[in-house]
Amino acid sequence: MSALSNNNWSRRSLFRAAAGMTAAGTLAACGSNTGRGSGSGDTLVQYFHAYGEAGTEQAIKRYAKAYKDANVTTQWITGSNFENKLFPALLTKNAPDVFEFHPQLQLVTSGQVADLSDIINPVKDDFNPADIASHTVDGKIYGVRMIDDPQFFYYRPSLFEKAKVEVPQTLEELIEAVNKLTTDKVKGAFLGNDITPVQNPLIWSAGADTLNAKNEIAYHTDAVADGLGQLRKLFTSGNLLLDAPADWWDPSAFTQGLTAIQWCGMWAMPVIQKALGDDVGIFPFPKVGSAGKFSVTNGGWSMFVNAKGDNVDAAKEYVKWLWIDQKKYQEDWALSYGFHIPPRTSIAQSATKLKSGLPAEGVKLFSEYGHFDNIGWTQAMIAAINDVIANSVRKGGSPDAALSAADKKVNAELKKLFG
Amino acid sequence: MSTTTEIDLANPAPAKPAKARSRRGLRANATLNFWLFTGPFLIGLIVFVFVPMGWSIYLSFFEARFTVSPSSFIGFDNYKAILDNPDFTGSLVTFTVFAAFIVPTTWALSLGLALLVHRIRFMKAFFRSVFFLPTAVSYVAAALIWKMSIFNGVRFGMANTILSWFGVENVAWLANPDPPWYWLVIVTLRLWLQAGFYMILFLAALQNIPAELYEAAAIDGAKPGWQTFRYITLPQLRATSTAVILLLLIAAYQAFDEFWNLLSKATWGQPPLVELYKTALGENQDYGQGSAGAVILTLLILVITLFQGRIMGFGRGEESK
Amino acid sequence: MTTTAPDLGKTPANAKKKRGGGVIGNTGLYLATGVAALLFLIPFYLIVRNALMTDPEITGENWKWFPTDIQWGNITEPFKDETVDFGRALWNSWVVAILHTSGILLICSLAGYGLARIPYKHANKVFYGVLVTLMIPTAVTFVPSFVLVSSLGWVDTYRGLIIPGLFSGFTCFLFRQYFLGFPKELEEAARVDGLSYWGAYWRVVVPNSLNFFAAMATITFISGWNSFLWPLVIGQDPSAWTIQVALSAYMTNQTVNYHLIFMSTAISILPLVLVFLFLQRWLVQGIAQTGIKG
Repeated sequence: MSALSNNNWSRRSLFRAAAGMTAAGTLAACGSNTGRGSGSGDTLVQYFHAYGEAGTEQAIKRYAKAYKDANVTTQWITGSNFENKLFPALLTKNAPDVFEFHPQLQLVTSGQVADLSDIINPVKDDFNPADIASHTVDGKIYGVRMIDDPQFFYYRPSLFEKAKVEVPQTLEELIEAVNKLTTDKVKGAFLGNDITPVQNPLIWSAGADTLNAKNEIAYHTDAVADGLGQLRKLFTSGNLLLDAPADWWDPSAFTQGLTAIQWCGMWAMPVIQKALGDDVGIFPFPKVGSAGKFSVTNGGWSMFVNAKGDNVDAAKEYVKWLWIDQKKYQEDWALSYGFHIPPRTSIAQSATKLKSGLPAEGVKLFSEYGHFDNIGWTQAMIAAINDVIANSVRKGGSPDAALSAADKKVNAELKKLFG
Repeated sequence: MSTTTEIDLANPAPAKPAKARSRRGLRANATLNFWLFTGPFLIGLIVFVFVPMGWSIYLSFFEARFTVSPSSFIGFDNYKAILDNPDFTGSLVTFTVFAAFIVPTTWALSLGLALLVHRIRFMKAFFRSVFFLPTAVSYVAAALIWKMSIFNGVRFGMANTILSWFGVENVAWLANPDPPWYWLVIVTLRLWLQAGFYMILFLAALQNIPAELYEAAAIDGAKPGWQTFRYITLPQLRATSTAVILLLLIAAYQAFDEFWNLLSKATWGQPPLVELYKTALGENQDYGQGSAGAVILTLLILVITLFQGRIMGFGRGEESK
Repeated sequence: MTTTAPDLGKTPANAKKKRGGGVIGNTGLYLATGVAALLFLIPFYLIVRNALMTDPEITGENWKWFPTDIQWGNITEPFKDETVDFGRALWNSWVVAILHTSGILLICSLAGYGLARIPYKHANKVFYGVLVTLMIPTAVTFVPSFVLVSSLGWVDTYRGLIIPGLFSGFTCFLFRQYFLGFPKELEEAARVDGLSYWGAYWRVVVPNSLNFFAAMATITFISGWNSFLWPLVIGQDPSAWTIQVALSAYMTNQTVNYHLIFMSTAISILPLVLVFLFLQRWLVQGIAQTGIKG
């Protein structure tokens, strides 16, 4: 410890210099704002989650740059951080003016999103009616759909042939197929690391629904409980791919040959076709139980205007310009990167890329078996069903008890929303 | 506690009664000086810690969804709701069990490492660095290595590769809660990240144990090894142990990052903070109920800390002046 | 310590075991330390291995302990990425971590000294107020904090990234514990010479406490460098991202680019390894002086 008393002078002056620099540094930092520049005219900020397909970020920024009436900045926010950033930001004056999200009733009831009826109504007939319905509350339309994203199973026909398996029509057949397809190297199927991507298809395929038309619980049926029990069997069979490094939205597990079947979105189709050529097919979630029917999730993203922002009118103008008037950009956005289905009928009909082959099959599944967003089915309810999957399929608890636990949470939420 | 009479910097004596001579002139401006020294810190603490905390307490009595400036006062309803939520109360139970396990384990591992490094002569700095370096890795990066390289469920994961040498099937470490392998993943990650820091605390304390104590013990016939450890080292480390346990307890209840990153959409192994995060930020944007939970959690940590302090006498002696 | 004391104990067998002596004892000691060290190094090895491999090799059918061809080109790749400005993030992290560290040391050491050494009758009450802040789960109060900081207009600024984190109850607590054990004689001598509290602090206390300051600097720098949730929310614009935020952008992007993720992880850890190797000598000494030892 004797070193301590040595050299006091130089150390002291060093420390002082350091302290002085700190003060100066803090002051300097106070002057510099690393954020947005202040230009003339309206300045708008838009939030996007980071799409995985190459070129998407550049595309969104290119469209924004082409808009002359306002200076639009884009925040491109990585997947799982999107909500962490969007929601705190919406509480402040640094909130985005325009943001993408899914239609959720509580955004409307809390007055967070602006009524866009006046810009959508003139072209209402050109939109897929289901996309209009899923954004409508009490006759007012609150968001513009940009893309529809059907989600279904991809499979490798060559592996099916080798294992002598047909495309499954029922959940039992799917489980049997998965068992036959599993080898030392390849697992039978990948339903996502936490199995939640198929929670809604399971409900729909069992002939039930999330909520009924009166906004009451419709998922709690015997068929759904049976389906959960069957999924549990599949989960414990050892033939499912679990804990894959990339989750279900990324086709890596499928293209790398880790699995013979994967639940994924249509957006991944170009990448999958590039990797596997013709050796790929798709099928909907198979029937569950005797009253079952095929189902496909029609997900997607929509643009909303922050009703609490400073520039609501300018933001609406921008949304109208890009997502209603600029059909070229809308087509580019839906088809040039990943594959998405344009919600505008006129664009969808002229899209040659979706006219043949696998993409055409995807469109067919989308229109025949697809289920669209329900604006009354909110995040809290989705989370309640996530818990059902965790408790009954992954943990092995009773499906009926798990569904009853979810009923309690969903009813509490329904009561808050609808009284 | 020290048997040495010598005063050195590494082993300072407890504060002595100050001499009247120097006290008299200084007392007059002591108050002013106190605020001069602590003022900047306290102002910042009030603005950036107490104001948000007060705001949280305020929010906990309101229906505050999608807003932090609510208008509908609902009394204790948020408290009732969150205490009626089995996910939250369950997480408190889980984490009491977790704390009962992880606190002694981390304590023992870091003490063990400190004893090893303390006794070693050759390459001491190297080993000390190796054990401390994980402290420099963020939870984000560590979770990535654990999830993607060591414990992923596919054939190219390291753990599964090693198991396959012994003919064991691929294990789904995180997806399947039965058997609960996820605890192995989380506990190894936590130990790797945390043990080094506490090892340094112990190492510092070991340096402060006067060599004379061991010499005296040897003269008295204590066996080197377990006996000296039990009767000299351990009692001499008591204060450090107390502080380490306190810090570990707080850390266990505030656990968040690795659970959040590793256990997605699970209903098991959810710490209170993850539950509160889901309530307030992730899915519900219910700041009122989230704040109520935060208040409950803070009170709980406070009680446990005071209780632990009582039992182990943390900070006694110093505060008795 | 290594000399054998005459054994006055009851059993003569005791005399055989010498503290730190004996070939077997030493071998066992080094073996145990070596095995523990190997286990602790595995994750670092994995980062480097993955960083220098090609993706097909990382995800290949068989586990490979070493890359067949070391991909040195991977090192520059993070800096070429168009979507994430890695260099800028690295720079921001340095600025933030350095200012964060200096600011905390300045503010918290002053407060710790005031609480420990200036005889003010309510000092203990103030100290308990500081202690309470250690118990508050920051991850939850952070929405009000963010709204507050945002209303100050500090989003996307260094101010917003740094200043709210400067008032660390924990660091203040450690400084107080340390100063409680600081020898009074030194200060008293200075005051007899006519120095004020302020003068004595800067001329006597700080110069004699550099070890402890270095220890605190190491810990603070690491926590500043590694903080994630706050910079994520404050850094709305990519130009204000820190390295951890940039890293998380790679992690959750929809197409997994393994070698890029691990290379950027390696690059993000490297500065800390250097800082620590440089400062570790003071770390143990410094902490040995805290009141934490009681």
